[in-house]
Amino acid sequence: MNVTAGTYESSDCLIRLSPSTTRKVIVESIVFDQFGDAIQRVLNDTLDQYGVSAVQVECFDKGALDYTVRARLITALKRGGYIE
Amino acid sequence: MSRSYLFIPGNTPSMIQSHDVYDSDAVILDLEDSVAVYDKDAARELVRSFLAAHRGNVEVFVRINDVDSGHFHRDVSAVDDLAINGYVLPKANPQAIDALAKACNHPILPIIEDPQAVLDAYAIVRHPQVKGAILGAEDLTKEMMIERTSDGIEIHHVRSHLALVCHALQKPFIDTPWTVVDDLDGLAKDASLARSLGATGKAAIHPNHVALINDLFGPSESAIRDAERILAKASETGKGAFRLDGKMIDEPIVEKARRLIAAAARYNKR
Repeated sequence: MNVTAGTYESSDCLIRLSPSTTRKVIVESIVFDQFGDAIQRVLNDTLDQYGVSAVQVECFDKGALDYTVRARLITALKRGGYIE
Repeated sequence: MSRSYLFIPGNTPSMIQSHDVYDSDAVILDLEDSVAVYDKDAARELVRSFLAAHRGNVEVFVRINDVDSGHFHRDVSAVDDLAINGYVLPKANPQAIDALAKACNHPILPIIEDPQAVLDAYAIVRHPQVKGAILGAEDLTKEMMIERTSDGIEIHHVRSHLALVCHALQKPFIDTPWTVVDDLDGLAKDASLARSLGATGKAAIHPNHVALINDLFGPSESAIRDAERILAKASETGKGAFRLDGKMIDEPIVEKARRLIAAAARYNKR
């Protein structure tokens, strides 16, 4: 089951989770050249913190700060039942 | 004592990240009315994540959902371990204050927004964790099925009553927001009236209202000059009572001048 959290509005990001047997993290960002790696790091660090290894994460970023990316991922993980 | 309390929707990153550019003395991150039911979880997580990273000078409160909403306990626990200035509790009553006080150690700003709460205001505000009160006139007038007018005649008594209660308990009374976003003349009249009745600050639902609220609820230049003259004369005479510009000045007036100068210093006016 796919789940989402967040929006496409400025300063936000939309996270979409899909079932996967491994961890896949895909980032599309309006500021990918400057912050793509940082967004990847926030997503992976959050997945590590919660011990989630089998999920595909797509992040459509519209200039979100780190805490927003993290919050949207946690919301999606909870909505998808990956964490409580 | 803050002058302005700006509501910021709890699920809107663009406004949250700009919280400190609006010049509001305090912001209220809202988990209640501005957040759709299906996004309550997202707002809770966003506010928590923001607060965990937040290092600012602006006072930050969180408006949680009311005790009977089904979101109450999750809202409280979402931010309870973080550095906030307090919870804003809608639909406050004495039982709801007790319930929140049992669930947290943070200060509480109750919103008085139904007729029974107005009658119970003293019991609500005197609770040791309660640090003031906010009037919620939109819900109050909705409960009473009366028209909410621009001159505010329908809430005149309630404003006066809450001002008395809060001043008797030496706590701030925060006036209801002005809801006509582009009518700044109306805001000026409304805020001036509230201040004349004893409000110490005012809530805002739009950043454009903050500057005017700060100006009206902070000490004016003429009031600061008068206070400075009073304090100078008091220092010069060394007497408990003296005349200035034909008026008798005694200790309560001197003390009021001291408070006004302290407020001016806080708001960088001196």
